Amino acid sequence: MTHRHQPLAARIVFWGVITIATLWCIFPFYWAIVTSFKERGDILTKPTLIPWLQYTPTLFNWQNEFGQRWPEISKALGNSLIIAIGASAIAIGLGTLAGYGLARFRFYGWKNRDMTMWFLSQRFLPPMVTAIPFFMVIKSLGLIDKQLALILANATFTMPFAVLILRDVFKDIPVEMEESAWVDGASHLQSFWHIALPLAAPAIAAALVICFAFSWNEFLFGLILSYDRAIPVTVIIAGVSHTQGIQFHQVATRLLLAILPPALLALTAQRYIVRGLTFGAVKG
Amino acid sequence: MPARSKVKFLFVLPGILWVLAFTIYPLIRSLTLSFTNARMGRTGQFVGLQNYIRAVGDYRFQNSVAVTVFFVICSVVLTVGIGLGLALLFNRPMRGQRVFRSLFTMPMFTAPIALGYLGLTIFHEDVGAVNTILRALGVADLPRWGSEIWTARAAIVLVDVWQWTPFCFLVLLAGLSALPEEVYEAAVLDTSSGWDIFRFVTLPLLTPVLFTVIMLRLVEAFKMLDIPFSLTNGGPGAATQTMSFYIYLTGLRNFNQGYASAMAYFLLIAMMIIAMIFFRRMRQNFD
Repeated sequence: MTHRHQPLAARIVFWGVITIATLWCIFPFYWAIVTSFKERGDILTKPTLIPWLQYTPTLFNWQNEFGQRWPEISKALGNSLIIAIGASAIAIGLGTLAGYGLARFRFYGWKNRDMTMWFLSQRFLPPMVTAIPFFMVIKSLGLIDKQLALILANATFTMPFAVLILRDVFKDIPVEMEESAWVDGASHLQSFWHIALPLAAPAIAAALVICFAFSWNEFLFGLILSYDRAIPVTVIIAGVSHTQGIQFHQVATRLLLAILPPALLALTAQRYIVRGLTFGAVKG
Repeated sequence: MPARSKVKFLFVLPGILWVLAFTIYPLIRSLTLSFTNARMGRTGQFVGLQNYIRAVGDYRFQNSVAVTVFFVICSVVLTVGIGLGLALLFNRPMRGQRVFRSLFTMPMFTAPIALGYLGLTIFHEDVGAVNTILRALGVADLPRWGSEIWTARAAIVLVDVWQWTPFCFLVLLAGLSALPEEVYEAAVLDTSSGWDIFRFVTLPLLTPVLFTVIMLRLVEAFKMLDIPFSLTNGGPGAATQTMSFYIYLTGLRNFNQGYASAMAYFLLIAMMIIAMIFFRRMRQNFD
């Protein structure tokens, strides 16, 4: 389709829609940022949207967040970091192996597609269905309020992304490259390790980012499996708003600290997001 | 590759066992729980189908089903509809497309729970962003977002639409740009109507992608919990209490685990139907 000779009206509509979509998309982030630079009084007395013009920005909330409130939030950020790294590492480890196995070998009896669905079915499962028994199992293992419990949970939730992305990527790597290694006497494990894995490295990194982001953003299991030492950042922001009412200015800084790491990190996985989130059904 | 090679099992087995341990085993535990009257600290006795029968007659559960179905319909229709519209508009060579794509990636990676609390400040009746803008536009009768049934529901739908429209947009855009150019060149010779081209050329070709998007959105929308939890806390009353939310309250706040598990199985059955439809269509893709 060529659109080079468009009437003026069509171009105005086009750019109008783009502008609205962009503003719509940015607005919540913008709002959180401007609110985080407002003083308590400014927030409650006059509704304001534009810094400098309508109110004087202050660093007070951020100083407070990185000062007095830092021990609490830094612990939660640390927990989220450990949980997300641990969970995505497990998900990628298992997912890379399974993805390679499904892409390179044919299974009989229990066929490839059955296995793929086995992995994917986890994504169709509402977390609430397994939450209660998961809680009971974790409790009987003595892992309540341990980061490990949340690592196990999130690894389970994010593994389907890893398996499906990697399966797709390994399928795209020509099998001939590995065949020549087998002729030379290399084993499957060797060709996987020395040939396929390096070629898949960018996709593995992207899958890691996607698993990391979803683990970081997970809330329900964080809520039920932790109460003090292992509390992740998604749960700490819930706590603050409930106990103290809505403290706009305080909430804004915390929300930004919770939102930005995965949202910014996801930008690096841009190329794989469509493919990853549709489980390889649509190539982005 | 020789079929007798045993090494292939080495690759898939760890993952399969993991799913068995952390997905299937809890599911079975959940099923057995659903036939008992287990409560906190009490193992519970077998009560047969009592929990299931109770759920069918529980007006709070019925309410949560209705609320969930309402959110699912709104969310799927709006996110896919707007996403498709934007994708059709953007499907052309344009400058700065990478910037827009990056921008539209951010909402879906925003923690829903954080988004809900942010929404609390955005929809605040006096000093929230939305009412500030409405006031500036001269709207006299400002909506009281959190305290009325339909405005609270609308707020949740808006937040969900904000988060997931970009996903639909990006996927449908990817689907559109993968369509073969020649088909359009041929179609343009036959008709000059943009609508006809969309209706008889684009839409049929896009159906598989559209199907995938709708299915994935259905699945996520049925799970909805975080946004009602943070934005409205299920209220006012139980007007925004989704199935996941009510199951959470029953099983993990009131520790009525047997009953909650039975209700969870109703949700699971709904999801299994969606999953079966999805898997049937996608079977070849997974081979």
